[in-house]
Amino acid sequence: MSNKTISEVVKLKRRLYVELVKLTAAGKLSEKISELPFQMITKDSPRYRCCEFKERAIFTERIKAALGFSPADTESVKLSELAEQLLADQLPKQESIVEVIATACDRCPIDKYFVTDACRNCVAHKCVNACPAQAIVIIQNKAFIDQNKCIECGRCAAACSYNAILENQRPCARACAVNAIKADKNRQAKIDSNKCVSCGSCIEACPFGAIAEKSDLVKVCQHLINPAEKVIAMLAPSFVGQFGFKVSAPQIKYALKELGFNDVVEVARGADLVAAAESKELTEAIEAGQVLLSSCCTAFKNMVKNDYSELAANLSQTNSPMAVAAAEYQIIDPAAKLVFIGPCTAKKAEALNNPDLDYVLTFEELIALVSGFEMNLATVTGKEKIEDASKLGRQFAYAGGLENSLAELIEINYKSKQADGLANCQQELALIKANRHDYSFLEGMACSGGCVGGPAAMINQKAAKKFVNDFAIESNLDPAK
Amino acid sequence: MAKNKLEICIGTPCYLMGAADLMDTFNSLETELKSAIDFKTCHCLAEECEQAPVISFNDKIYHDINPEKLYKIIRENIR
Repeated sequence: MSNKTISEVVKLKRRLYVELVKLTAAGKLSEKISELPFQMITKDSPRYRCCEFKERAIFTERIKAALGFSPADTESVKLSELAEQLLADQLPKQESIVEVIATACDRCPIDKYFVTDACRNCVAHKCVNACPAQAIVIIQNKAFIDQNKCIECGRCAAACSYNAILENQRPCARACAVNAIKADKNRQAKIDSNKCVSCGSCIEACPFGAIAEKSDLVKVCQHLINPAEKVIAMLAPSFVGQFGFKVSAPQIKYALKELGFNDVVEVARGADLVAAAESKELTEAIEAGQVLLSSCCTAFKNMVKNDYSELAANLSQTNSPMAVAAAEYQIIDPAAKLVFIGPCTAKKAEALNNPDLDYVLTFEELIALVSGFEMNLATVTGKEKIEDASKLGRQFAYAGGLENSLAELIEINYKSKQADGLANCQQELALIKANRHDYSFLEGMACSGGCVGGPAAMINQKAAKKFVNDFAIESNLDPAK
Repeated sequence: MAKNKLEICIGTPCYLMGAADLMDTFNSLETELKSAIDFKTCHCLAEECEQAPVISFNDKIYHDINPEKLYKIIRENIR
């Protein structure tokens, strides 16, 4: 079973996406959007909060994020007004992608360790002995943790023979490898935008669905239904297999064109160029005895810049495959609207500062779009050949792919290392900082498994890696020079 | 022919709501259960896409399924 099964929170979000697409396609977005919370949250629909009124209030905030607005900045603005602004191209420039929906945050307890009723006040008192901060005292026949003294080391929990001490960290904070989530004085989660790398882990982790990503879905939909506009789908290397196990890459290209995209291109083409440029950089780094850090994963790159600034100079100067592919397409057709489609929330943040790219959709958003246009990908029989990249670019989608591609391009001997998951990347970066590494190249990927394990991937990463690999081998193109 | 019949809809609405998870669930079933089931996918089962994902087990349709529910349905209804 895949490790992230689809929760009710995710289902609700996807249903909302489909409804928004339907309204936009029918030209009734600003007219009907205010009815959505009442339509989708009824007295009889499953309820998770105190009452349907709170449920609707939260859902309204969710809609704002789905439209691309910041829920916090638009607290007092009506949905219909926001929809009008959006359709008139008046969305203010956004600073971040991942945001807390304040009303939805359940203000989880902050105390990390606490003693439960399973405590038997035993004779050994292992917890008291284990605590290096003398934070545990026995009160009323039970161990008690003085939260002012507790240093959150977890030794007491590990020592207790009855497992009576619970670790109760907030799921969002636990998921955040870069410590960007703090609690404000009302215990509400707050994201520190100077530390957040938009990896999307907290969105997935919060069981209340209190953290949301902003979306370009409605804008893309609006462009698609306008025949006068040229809209280009740029598929991330990880796209194969994400639209259904039996939907092949040529079928996807055909279907997306049916949907209204004027062209469908592989971002792996950009990855090809990145591999070529990075192999030259790496050869220079090897000769100079330095270590080169990969730059294609935006979340990894931003973490290096924020938290390991002394290593920022070691980052590859080559742009990400998305940026390279977009820059190339801009030259061919400057008027076209470029839509990157991938498994990633960090790419949305990257695109905010890249004028070449117009929009970023995730796989789940694109499939919601397909569903909203009432197209069934499983029944699409048409095909159109898609071959924009070589094996080297296509295999960027999984952890170790870039490392392999560079090894094929560089003739001299060198050592390299691959790390996936931000925590693993941090370990390697710490080693490099202390000069205790033995390699010249580090491939860093924020998501475990690489892009195929991204937050918006639709299938389990093992299957996805196989799809990507088979597709990579199929390519008849030569690597870029 | 196995005695039981499982169909999972992989049409786009069902796929969006987690049909891939359901296929993973079937693939990781105990061998004993799995070998007693004929499994196939289909493109649309009941035209009740608002309640996706939809499956059918032994010719009975079930809506709004998740991996846990699917497992229970199989356990309780297997012949």
